[in-house]
Amino acid sequence: MESSELARFEAVVLPHLDAAYTLARYLTRSEHDAEDVVQDACLRALKYFDGFRGEEGTSARAWLLVIVRNTAFSARRRRRPDADVLEFDEAQHSGAVADEHPEAALLRSAAKESLGHALDRLAPEFREVIVLRELEGLSYKEISDVAGVPVGTVMSRLSRARTRLQQALREEEEG
Amino acid sequence: MTHPGFEAQLDAYLDGELTAVDASELEAHLAQCPECARFRQERLQLRAAIRARVPAFEAPAALRERVRAAVGAAARGRARRRFTAWGVWRPLTIAASLAVVAVGSWRLALQRTAGETLADDVLGSHIRSLMPGHLTDVLSSDQHTVKPWFNGKLDFSPPVYDFAGRGYPLIGGRLDYVDGRGVAALVYGRRQHLINVFLRPAARGAAAVPSTRTRQGYHLLHWATADYTYWAVSDLGLPELGEFAGLLRQADSAAGAPK
Repeated sequence: MESSELARFEAVVLPHLDAAYTLARYLTRSEHDAEDVVQDACLRALKYFDGFRGEEGTSARAWLLVIVRNTAFSARRRRRPDADVLEFDEAQHSGAVADEHPEAALLRSAAKESLGHALDRLAPEFREVIVLRELEGLSYKEISDVAGVPVGTVMSRLSRARTRLQQALREEEEG
Repeated sequence: MTHPGFEAQLDAYLDGELTAVDASELEAHLAQCPECARFRQERLQLRAAIRARVPAFEAPAALRERVRAAVGAAARGRARRRFTAWGVWRPLTIAASLAVVAVGSWRLALQRTAGETLADDVLGSHIRSLMPGHLTDVLSSDQHTVKPWFNGKLDFSPPVYDFAGRGYPLIGGRLDYVDGRGVAALVYGRRQHLINVFLRPAARGAAAVPSTRTRQGYHLLHWATADYTYWAVSDLGLPELGEFAGLLRQADSAAGAPK
């Protein structure tokens, strides 16, 4: 890679490091893992950079987020091989709630669930559409590209995830 | 709470993702449906709550530095691999070995450079000769006409042969100027191809190594006998040009003793 090409990479990709880190933080739910995912994703991005020419309709941010997202999901599969065996099943996960850690369940019994906590407990496929829409401000089409699902699925996941969060918010207010 | 299947539509509406037609339909519905209007209100509250309490993060400075360093290192590694893959490395290696040669034996390097300059000169003469009216000063397929023609024009009498029987007829000869001095140029033909043979007396004690060069689609063969230094240039294929050079050398050695 020419140094001018490296400069172009830095100019195109590095401005979206905050967005990348934010998505990674919510997907991994860990500061440390998020940093690893971002670094790994940037190296992957460098590898694919030749293929990215900033065509119309492809924002550099969405392009980088695809890589961050896939990096985070494959890192998660490495840590939890069972998650790889079962393809994500809309019907099975209709509650849109991730498997809960025992500690989390314990904490939850002690206090009403906060909004942030509710977000963390969403299945990652639901969490990501919320983060991509509410925090990253991506369009449905861009989210569909990042998550690799049809726009219709983005729409329904987003709606169900919001309903779940709204529920948590209501519980919070009541409690 | 709302009409089944309408929640996603409402979300899309609030996200500004509905077409204008769908959006105005939905607005009309919202205006007359309190349940959907309340749902809309709740969604707006949720959005405000998310904005207020679910933060977007800033990449830590240490991470930014780490990424920059990792990307820079990877890019440099890629550059090295790519150079190798593209073979750009090879000329550099050759250049490096040339530098070693130049340092170790500058005379050899200078000779090589002189050889290259000479080759340029020879090729230039060849190309010039192909221009209309430049090919021959003496047009004759008779070697006994061509050879005497050089008398008084050069301080040597070049050997002239005719290989018409072998498919390389003599076309003629001319005076040319290569490397700062006059040389004999003999023109031979091969079908529609032309071959220029440049020769001049060999420098005493100079051991010319036969060489082959290809430039701009022309082949240049260089060799020397005890008496003459030769250049043969043509757009002819290398095997045939080689065969022709072989005929010349054979004829030279058959001619025997130097003049």
